[in-house]
Amino acid sequence: MKRELYDILCCPVCKGDLELKVTEENDIEIITGSLICHACSVTYPIEDGIPNLLPQNI
Amino acid sequence: MAQAEVKPDDIVLEVGTGSGYVASSIQDCRMVFATDINPHAVLSAHERGIQVVRTDLIAGLRRIFSLILFNPPYIPTRPDERCHDWLEYALDGGPDGRGPLTRFLDQVADVLIPGGRVLIVISSLQYFEKCEEIFKKTGFSYTIADHEILEDGEELRIYRLKRD
Repeated sequence: MKRELYDILCCPVCKGDLELKVTEENDIEIITGSLICHACSVTYPIEDGIPNLLPQNI
Repeated sequence: MAQAEVKPDDIVLEVGTGSGYVASSIQDCRMVFATDINPHAVLSAHERGIQVVRTDLIAGLRRIFSLILFNPPYIPTRPDERCHDWLEYALDGGPDGRGPLTRFLDQVADVLIPGGRVLIVISSLQYFEKCEEIFKKTGFSYTIADHEILEDGEELRIYRLKRD
């Protein structure tokens, strides 16, 4: 995912802000990382360049 | 059809993009984004260079979109007909064919900016009058932007929805 995609994302449950943590990034985009909702204590993964905002097992 | 609707200032979202074919054909707008719940679909769309999010319809997106495209799953499916694979998920419209459509319309105002439009594909299998009732109930006015009659007599319409 490109950095600009992060700007349009929010927590799918509480609609609050997500913290972005980047594990791997190339010249084009973030490959792996996580999007963290502190209010819900849930971490959504970024894998293969794609953020996954489906419900996660806590 | 989608391309004809796009304006240079538009921020476009395709919901349930599948392989990403439609989203990748859209040009001459500010930005294009897409969602799908299917893991194979998001990989395919990502390979086409689309900014894609794996999520349920529009969950987890902010209100920035001026044009939203959706071709919902619409095949009427009884519970005993379900086999629970991803292909079925792309087609299954619930018992009356209007399940995903209704869920989408209940939520879409959360991500559509004022004056924004929704282009949505509806089949005669879903009963146009019933769908038009849902549009009105969820606060949208509508026009029919295009239509096509298939060989088996099924009619597909593209509705353009606006919120007044």
